[in-house]
Amino acid sequence: MPYYIGDVIKDEKSLVARTPEKFRETGVDVLLENGVEAIDRAQKTVRLADGSAVPYDILVLGTGTEAFVPRVPGVGMEGVFVLKTLPDAIAMKSYLREKQCRKAVIVGAGFIGLEMCEALRNLDIETEVIDLSIRPATRWDPEFSKVMHDEMTRHAVRFSPNTGLTSIEEGNYRRLRLNTTRGEVEADMILLAIGVKPNVQLAADAGLQIGKSGAIQVDFSQRTSDEDVYAVGDCCEVYHRVSRKWTHIPLGDVANKQGRVAGVNIGGGAAIFPGVVGAQSFKLFDLGAAATGIDEAEAKRSGYHPVSTIIWGNAIAHSLPGEKRLGIKLVADRATGMLLGAQAAGVKGAVERINTLSCALWAGMRLEDIAVLDFAYAPPFSTAWDPIHIAARDLMKKI
Amino acid sequence: MTQEEEGVMEKKLVIIGGGAGGASVAAEARRRDPSLSIAMIEKGKYVSASA
Repeated sequence: MPYYIGDVIKDEKSLVARTPEKFRETGVDVLLENGVEAIDRAQKTVRLADGSAVPYDILVLGTGTEAFVPRVPGVGMEGVFVLKTLPDAIAMKSYLREKQCRKAVIVGAGFIGLEMCEALRNLDIETEVIDLSIRPATRWDPEFSKVMHDEMTRHAVRFSPNTGLTSIEEGNYRRLRLNTTRGEVEADMILLAIGVKPNVQLAADAGLQIGKSGAIQVDFSQRTSDEDVYAVGDCCEVYHRVSRKWTHIPLGDVANKQGRVAGVNIGGGAAIFPGVVGAQSFKLFDLGAAATGIDEAEAKRSGYHPVSTIIWGNAIAHSLPGEKRLGIKLVADRATGMLLGAQAAGVKGAVERINTLSCALWAGMRLEDIAVLDFAYAPPFSTAWDPIHIAARDLMKKI
Repeated sequence: MTQEEEGVMEKKLVIIGGGAGGASVAAEARRRDPSLSIAMIEKGKYVSASA
C-alpha cells in the first residue's frame, strides 16, 4: 500500500489478489460490508450486523488487526490517517491528491512509518517522522538505526526522537497542528503508524482462549480452544521456532500459509503450520533492511546465552562500482553455538542474506557450519568471502 | 432430522474476515472439498487485498 500511495502502483485493483466475483465463481458465498456481532458456540451460529444468524459446522476467525490509535484529542480530525486497509490507502491517496499537501508528519518510526517516508517524498511532500524512541526501527541494532537515520536525512526526511504526540488541533499555517512532548509542529496530513493490535473481541466474547501475546490461541493445525473453530492470520498467535514461544507477528505472508493449513484441515486433509523464524524486511529509499530470528533481549528472556557481532562488508566485489556496503549482525547462543538471529542493512544484498540466514535458523544451524556455507559466488553478486562468512567467523571467537 | 437422515446436508464452513488468511482458507478448503458450503463474511468492501 505505501507503493500505491507513492504512485509507484497506479491502480488499487492490482492490490486485490482475488475478487469477490472470482470467489463466487468457485461457489464461495461472499458477504461484503456485513460485520459479525457475536458467535454462539452452543448453537453454532454467528449473528450478523443486519440481525440475521448464519449457522456453521466449522468456523474460521480471520479478524485481523486494527491500527493502534493513541488516545489523544484530535485523532479523529480530517487529514489524520492510519494505514491498515485498502480503503485507508485509497482515502489517503485521494486526500493527498486533492488537498495540496505540502507537509506530512508520520507518528511512529516502525517499518510502516519508514516505508511511507519514501511514498510521501515521491509525491514531493515535506516529511517528518516523530517517535517516542531515541531512534528509528528499534527492531534493528542502533548501528543500523543510524544508517536508516542517515538515509532519511539524505532524502530530506526529518526524524524527531523522544517525541510523544499529546494532541492534534487545527493549525495556523497548515491544516493541522501536532502538539508533542517536545513542542509543536504543523502539517497538512498526519499518519498514525504506531502499531497494530489483534482483533480478538469476538473470540474473547465467545469464550475462546486468548494467548499471552494478546492474540487468539491456536495449535499447529490452526485450531482454537474449540475444535470446530479455527483462527488464521493477524488475529492469532504463531509459533516462533527460535524463541520456542507462541507470539504475535502480524504479516501477510504468514496469514497466507496459516490460511492454507486451516483450509487443508477443514477440507479433509492433514497439515500443520510449523511456525516462523520471524523474517521481515522493508525498503527505505535506496536502503534495504531485513531481520530474522530474535535479538539479544528476546534471547535472554528465552533462556539463551546470547553473544553478537556486527560487521561491515561488501555485498558485491569490492572492485565493482556503486554503493555496496552491507552490514550484518549475528546473534548466537554461547552454550550451543547455534544461530539465534540476524539483521542486515545495505543498498544491495541485505534481504537475500537474511533469507539465507532464515534458512539457517529454520534448520537450527551452528556458526561453524554457517562460516563455511557454500554460496553462489560471482563478483557482480557477492564476494568470495561473503559478509555472512565473515560475521559467522567473527562471532565464533566469542563462543 | 439429523444430518444422516437427510443424507444430503452439506457441511457449512463460515469464515469471518476476507483478508489474506480468510481468503486463503476459502480457496484451499474449496480445492479440497467441492461439496463444502462456504460463506466468507467481510465487514469491509474488499476481500483478499494486500497490505
